[in-house]
Amino acid sequence: MNIVYKHIIRFVVFAFLQALVFNQLNIGFGIHLMIQPLFIMLLPFELTVIPMMGIAFLMGLVIDIFSNTYGLNTSALVLMAYLRPIVFKFYGPREGYDPLKEPTSQDMGSSWFGLVYGLLLGLHTFWFFLLEIFELGRFGFILQKTILSGGLSFLLALLIQSFILNSKQKK
Amino acid sequence: MRNLIAFLQRFRIFLVFAMLQILALSWYVTYLSFPRNQFLTTNNNIAIQILEWEHDLTKHFNLSKNNTQLQWENTYWRKRQPQFMYQLSRGKVKINDTIFEQQYTYIPAEVINSSVDRRNNYFTLNVGSAQGIKRGMGVFCHEGVVGVIHYASKHYSLVKTVLTEDINIDVNIHMKKSDLPGFIKWDGRDPRYGTVTGINNDLRIKKWSTVVTRGGSGIFPKGIPVGKVSHTEPIEGQALWKVDILFAADYRRLQRVYVIKNLHMAEQTALEARIPRDDE
Repeated sequence: MNIVYKHIIRFVVFAFLQALVFNQLNIGFGIHLMIQPLFIMLLPFELTVIPMMGIAFLMGLVIDIFSNTYGLNTSALVLMAYLRPIVFKFYGPREGYDPLKEPTSQDMGSSWFGLVYGLLLGLHTFWFFLLEIFELGRFGFILQKTILSGGLSFLLALLIQSFILNSKQKK
Repeated sequence: MRNLIAFLQRFRIFLVFAMLQILALSWYVTYLSFPRNQFLTTNNNIAIQILEWEHDLTKHFNLSKNNTQLQWENTYWRKRQPQFMYQLSRGKVKINDTIFEQQYTYIPAEVINSSVDRRNNYFTLNVGSAQGIKRGMGVFCHEGVVGVIHYASKHYSLVKTVLTEDINIDVNIHMKKSDLPGFIKWDGRDPRYGTVTGINNDLRIKKWSTVVTRGGSGIFPKGIPVGKVSHTEPIEGQALWKVDILFAADYRRLQRVYVIKNLHMAEQTALEARIPRDDE
């Protein structure tokens, strides 16, 4: 499958899953599941940062429209897209990334994926709740929301990854 | 000039990043106070259509509970219908009521999109300006207060719920001898609990005393339930109580609501506009 179509389809699927399924789940304890960071994470290695920020902006806009958050998701996703190359460079192999591989846990190893995605997701979630609550006096609450939502979103991302992995093995 | 271009070249990634961030954040900050652009919310045509499909799919999940509630409400009102009552005094002439005049009408609506775990939570309703919905009308459900209309498009509207930061609905804490006036606030933690601010601590407040709307601003009629006092605590350094309330309505599974139209609203605002203003 053409790589561009693949990512367009992923964009639509991730946006709709987030807007229609995960936005509607009210778990409590301030937990807010987010899968759109995984979409930014799975974009190909060779994509440069400016188009990536553009894609992140669009994705955030779609999510914001569906959840009435007016730019909150956009801001957090653009921040994540901006930080992705920096984190990738920091944890990357010495000879650079293989352009044939994808930034998934089955291509790059689960420890690399866990470290990089965990860091990016943590920063994204922290920025999101920092802006949403915007009160330094309630820093503990921001941290609580970040850790609970980030942790569960991370587990969800691993689950979605394993689905993608399984569908590839069947082909 | 060359230096400038070199500078732009060097920092273009950061500049693009900063530009996108400023765009997103300015949108976030301005929209919270006043809705300028309806396209960027669930009130635009495409998003609302998709949410309607989703709602069509999920609206039956709480069907039996909703039906029980509606049936209970029906019997409650049916009991008060004159034709179901036994007439004690026969032969009197029925006259038009000159003591009571209708002040509020209610527009039924359905919640088609909602959230309760954000800092500011908005509900989307399936009624809009075509049904007479305007910004600033009150919204309540069978169990209690829901919020105030924030934006109304032709067929849909957005409700700023009591689960937002800067909602200010005037309420009374209902006591035996007197009512204590205050305002509802929400701290963003639990959709079941809110707080009431501005309560002087000269009176003791009984736990589980009810909180109802005061009806001063004309948005809500008097006496719509809001919740029950669950915890009181003195605020240090101030002569005020910190009052926690348990909301009467469960906003997590809310489907049917009513929008309040105050028929005397224009009269009230026209009258209150005559209050002489202090010039700053």
